[in-house]
Amino acid sequence: MAMQSIWSGTISFSLVAIPVQLVRAVEPGRVSFRLLHTKDYSPLSRRMFCPREEKMVEPEDIIRGYEIGPDKYITVTDEELESVSPERSRTIEIVEFVDLKDIDSIYYDHPYYLVPSKGGEKAYQLLAEVMRRTNKAGLAKFVMGEREYLVAIKNIEGALSLITLHYSEEILPDDDILPGASPIETLETARMKKIIKEMTADFNPAEYANERRKSILTLLKKKAKKQPPVTPPDIEDDEEGPVDLVAALEASMRKVKKNR
Amino acid sequence: MNKKVTQIAGRNLSLSNLEKVLYPSTGFTKAHILEYYRLVSPYILPHLRGRALTLKRYPDGVAEAYFFEKRCPAHRPSWVATAEIARDNGEQMTVCLVNDLDTLMWVENLASLELHVPLARADAPENPDAVVFDLDPGNGAGILDCMRVALILRDLLAGLKLTCFPKTSGMKGLHVLAPLNQKKMTFDDTKKFSKSVAQVLERNYPDLVTSKMAKEQRVKKVFINWSQNDSSKTMVCVYSLRAGERPTVSFPLTWKELEHLESNGNPDKIQVEQSEAVSRLKKSGDLFGEMLVMKQRLPYI
Repeated sequence: MAMQSIWSGTISFSLVAIPVQLVRAVEPGRVSFRLLHTKDYSPLSRRMFCPREEKMVEPEDIIRGYEIGPDKYITVTDEELESVSPERSRTIEIVEFVDLKDIDSIYYDHPYYLVPSKGGEKAYQLLAEVMRRTNKAGLAKFVMGEREYLVAIKNIEGALSLITLHYSEEILPDDDILPGASPIETLETARMKKIIKEMTADFNPAEYANERRKSILTLLKKKAKKQPPVTPPDIEDDEEGPVDLVAALEASMRKVKKNR
Repeated sequence: MNKKVTQIAGRNLSLSNLEKVLYPSTGFTKAHILEYYRLVSPYILPHLRGRALTLKRYPDGVAEAYFFEKRCPAHRPSWVATAEIARDNGEQMTVCLVNDLDTLMWVENLASLELHVPLARADAPENPDAVVFDLDPGNGAGILDCMRVALILRDLLAGLKLTCFPKTSGMKGLHVLAPLNQKKMTFDDTKKFSKSVAQVLERNYPDLVTSKMAKEQRVKKVFINWSQNDSSKTMVCVYSLRAGERPTVSFPLTWKELEHLESNGNPDKIQVEQSEAVSRLKKSGDLFGEMLVMKQRLPYI
């Protein structure tokens, strides 16, 4: 098992149950930075600030507020939020199978791989193969990390992948983006078809690299070669340790010195 | 590029640049490095297992630029075990776990000559398995001074019924570690303990020991770097090569050996190089074996 699993449980439908683990399918290539104090390169942390009182606010003095109008909020505590959180599920219950092409890619949110757990290999392969042949995807609901997801389970190169889907209410309407219907001329259609045909290629994503990430990494490498990294000073304090410990150490020390 | 595909336990691993000399002063090549780690793998793997590896890569050898890599490279083979670690800023980071020979060979193929790991395992990142005393000689002090401090430290801890084990850092200093292997131990505990020990030693041997980080405080003294007892810090793993001029190893010593070397005033003999490391391991086994199993409690914490 190479990849760390995020969740484990079973895919089930009808009388079928397949033990699986969920692992990540993508790792965003974002280069992240820490923010440092220019004075001594100490890493900085974020704290909450109250602009009205002009002072920092401690975590225990912070509560969530849902804004219902200007300066009007409904407050919600952690406990209240937890009380309406769905129970973590142990199964991915497929409720229906749909044609893969019917799910528009606008619904795709985040991809994962499903890995068969011990004993599930055969049923897993069977499901993946039948989905491939029939071009179907299984729709399921399942809870992960306190959120309930609508997911599609589909074949990917002989394996199964799980893609979280946007709920339909999250998709914004496209009514306003279509221009008014006007007749399309045959000649123009043919011309457009020809251009597209000339520009047609196999989809080969490896040909495209994340150029910004690449150039940032090159910059970092170059800088690392030229100058040693900066480090914040360690906090030096002369604070004494626990009294009993120091006393025991001093007693042991006296014995050591006597025997030397 | 010289490439060679090898099979380990049925997995294909492509090794590259095998003839490249990485230690120019001795002609030690990448192939030698892979062979060294293959030979010591039965001994080093238990100490690496389950710990977030920090790679310290020397693609052009010890005399050229190196870089640290805490994240497990994204181009890793699918069979490399990983863990998710939360960084101080709350971000998740994927790290490599060197749990088997294949992974060790893959990591060495990346020219990660030095293997650095935290004192805690990735599944319990806030709970160290050991407390460490990193003895670091300041300007004008040497490894002989470190040996003296190590022997005093051993006796001091024995008075608290704690057993500890020394190893060379493979560079200038010594590491003395006391195994704990207690689930509830935290870095706060080990840091508080090691700092108190360092301060007591400093007070009793002011000309020999300092507990303070500042460079000017360390002249002609041994700095006991207690701040290594921290979840964000890593230490060079026992049996790791070091990227010095020669292929030295961070190697465990018996206390008897250390006493002998100290009384003979023979500090240079303390360094163990790769070939000696292999033959010693074959003869005496893992002197650091107790680090993995011995349970001890820190008193008064």
